[in-house]
Amino acid sequence: MSELFPLKQVMGFVFSLVLTAVALGVYYFDMSFAVGMTVLLVTAFLQAGLQLVVFMHAGETEDKGAIYTNVYYGVIIALVTVFGTLLALVWDMG
Amino acid sequence: MKIDHSLPLEYSTEENRLKIFGFWIFLGAEIMLFATLFASYFTLYNRTGSGPNGAEIFHITPVLLETILLLTSSFTIGLGVHAMRLGRQKAMMGFFVVTLLLGLAFLGVEIFEFVTYVHEGAGLQTSAFTSILLTTLGTHGAHVTVGLFWGLYILIQVKRDGLTPETGNKSFIFSLYWHFLDVVWIFIFSFIYLKGMM
Repeated sequence: MSELFPLKQVMGFVFSLVLTAVALGVYYFDMSFAVGMTVLLVTAFLQAGLQLVVFMHAGETEDKGAIYTNVYYGVIIALVTVFGTLLALVWDMG
Repeated sequence: MKIDHSLPLEYSTEENRLKIFGFWIFLGAEIMLFATLFASYFTLYNRTGSGPNGAEIFHITPVLLETILLLTSSFTIGLGVHAMRLGRQKAMMGFFVVTLLLGLAFLGVEIFEFVTYVHEGAGLQTSAFTSILLTTLGTHGAHVTVGLFWGLYILIQVKRDGLTPETGNKSFIFSLYWHFLDVVWIFIFSFIYLKGMM
């Protein structure tokens, strides 16, 4: 039975619950916007990386390089889209 | 067809390997799709007009429930793929069934949440904020719905054909999709809900 629950994945799940609990801190504790956003950014990206490496087996085969290049490219375009939009439409530069 | 037995089932042929890589490229496009939704959300979230804002309609209990359901389903499908690599078909199917049930429960909570929003006066056409909120959540929810049917058909094929390089490959690709939906939810949980209630 225990062979069906590999330690790596069980620890990954526990860690993802811990990250969720830490992120919840911004709801239960009073903190400034900057501190709260920092906590959320760190926990969300750690959580995403965890899924990618532990659960999606991104680095297991000879396609590793191509898979990571593709994911990084997607993430870079995503960040440019989001922060470019914020820069142009939301953050007041005046 | 050349089958390499030193690799896990889902990677065991050249075609399988390329199919998995192709799906990663699709996921790259999905990342960009959700990025445009998040960019629009951040632009519009304080354009509430005469409707409610996020802090007024978000409730922590259903959101936390959805998060735990989806995180757990991501874990169970990971165990399903692990069982598949051990050649344990019954265990693999069991984990996939649990995953789909958790996904169904997630969808139930989300539909309940949408009904509550509409009752609280936050419909699709209430304001720019409610439009982009429901569009973003709805796009994710639609992906989960598609995933439920996809997963069901995968289970039927595994039951019919057993664990072969073909069904193994399909199951693995479905697991990638499911984990990806969990990642998207984490960003919704963090930057829509928690940020909105901060």
